Amino acid sequence: MALNDSLREMFAMIELEMRRLRHDRTEIYTRAVQPILWLAVYGTVMSHVRDIPTGGIPYIDYITPGVLLQSTIFVSVFYGLTIVWERETGILKRLLVAPASRYATVIGRAIASGVRAVVQALIIFPVAILLGVKFIPNPIYIFAAFLMLFMISGGFAALSIFVASLMKTRERFMGIGQALIMPLFFASNALYPISLMPPFLQSIAFVNPLTYAVDAVRGLMISGDVANVPADFAAVIVFDILIFAVASISFRKIIE
Amino acid sequence: MESALELAIEIKQLTKVYDGKVNALDGVDLTVKAAGIFALLGPNGSGKTTLMRVLTTQFRPTAGVARAFGYDVVKDDAKVRKIIGYVPQEMSVWTDITGFENLLIYAKIYGVPSSRRTKSIWEALQSMGMDDVANGPVKKYSGGMIRRLEIACALLIKPRILFLDEPTLGLDPSARKAVWQNLETFKREFGTTVFFNTHYMDEADQYSDEVAIINQGRIVKSGTASELKCSLRSEIITFALADRGNDSRNPSKSMADPGLKLKLLEKIKALDLIDDASLQASNLDVVVEDGDVALPAIIEVLRCEGIRLERIRVTKPTLDDVFLKYAGMRHPKKQERNAA
Repeated sequence: MALNDSLREMFAMIELEMRRLRHDRTEIYTRAVQPILWLAVYGTVMSHVRDIPTGGIPYIDYITPGVLLQSTIFVSVFYGLTIVWERETGILKRLLVAPASRYATVIGRAIASGVRAVVQALIIFPVAILLGVKFIPNPIYIFAAFLMLFMISGGFAALSIFVASLMKTRERFMGIGQALIMPLFFASNALYPISLMPPFLQSIAFVNPLTYAVDAVRGLMISGDVANVPADFAAVIVFDILIFAVASISFRKIIE
Repeated sequence: MESALELAIEIKQLTKVYDGKVNALDGVDLTVKAAGIFALLGPNGSGKTTLMRVLTTQFRPTAGVARAFGYDVVKDDAKVRKIIGYVPQEMSVWTDITGFENLLIYAKIYGVPSSRRTKSIWEALQSMGMDDVANGPVKKYSGGMIRRLEIACALLIKPRILFLDEPTLGLDPSARKAVWQNLETFKREFGTTVFFNTHYMDEADQYSDEVAIINQGRIVKSGTASELKCSLRSEIITFALADRGNDSRNPSKSMADPGLKLKLLEKIKALDLIDDASLQASNLDVVVEDGDVALPAIIEVLRCEGIRLERIRVTKPTLDDVFLKYAGMRHPKKQERNAA
């Protein structure tokens, strides 16, 4: 019974997110601009350097998975802002008085953010094709890559909700979000192989869930080297479970 | 068992301490009858909102028991949540979707079966007079419309108790009236108990069946509005004294004369049944327990003094007076404690 209530709330939260998107699509489009610039400008310039060992892959193709993930994870990392806003208004209070458990609110919102991320990626994906990025034409691989994108975005949205439940105000939340996003991106294999990094940064990249997501998506979409993909999925699943649990537990704090 | 059925809410010695310091609720005892409209009055920071948030299972109380239709708000919180509707003080709808969609999301959260869903949503919208505008985006609604939409969301599941935290705060008089008229109709139809917080005394007076006043985390007075007003036992009689300056027989005698003023007040205060008297400009205010009895005696005194009257007005106490008496004064002891 309680599980039913919770599942219902999760689905309702996903539907809410989809309805919001349908009413205002501008955000999805404007957020696509930055990753497209990464590919078209940064990617094009850096591909002339030819010093980055990409394993024979063109540089734009090499960074496409990273840029795709970065653009969706940006959305997720700031998803907590929605929660902060809902806390300032009475929406959260009202949701907490509904029959579902509190974890359903957290997980439902995180999944909803994951769905939003997939929609976001679907807009960048064709642009990347137009820029000449060669994807492996295997529907199962593409599907698995999008699944990874969905899972990692949901995890980062839960992380964001966790931060929101501690920070509580917009200003403090923005501070943490900004501080988090750059290291997340640069201390990963999104733009260059980990082997190029100094040892300290390598150890950060090793615990950075984004590294595993990029590795899997790159393997599935670009290089076709899928040997590590199961391990990458395992790492991201562990991250998701941990962060969902932590965010659900700390969510109580947000209304107090 | 029978008494549990009649009572919508039963609260015993409820205490809530924030951060181990502030006693937001300090031993609340309260009962609310089923199918009535109950108003909780209190100054800002008196614990009204905290009490409502404990009753709606958002907070656990530090000590004490609270039950909604027999369900404990801590132990049976899941059951409580299924029978209550709640509208917080702050705006609580999503503004980037339509009014209808807001209710749709709540209908899904509450598991209204899909066969009845659309019908229930339109019924709730109609009961708040929101059916015409339901397909417009909420960000274009006025404050009164948003509040009615919020109440419609809460009415969707036909709750047994509807909790409203300052339901008409910031609304204009016609929007307030619309909210209350719709609520009364709904209540009559479904027998819902309405529990609301307010500091609009007129609203409590006009729409509630029972009132309680909370101050410093304790219920200081409860009963029907008219019981509370009668309990004050104080009516104010205002005498507008005729201007003595126009009196040709005695032109020097005027109310501006402080000696005369004092003498008059002393004489009136000396009468039985008089609680207090004061004189400002040409208005004499006398506070009495029972105006019908005291009035002839006061007139007699004024006549002896040769003062003529222009008008007499008897003011019965309002709920404002009740509120000021029970919640207006801060307990000096507590203030000291807070200062220290």
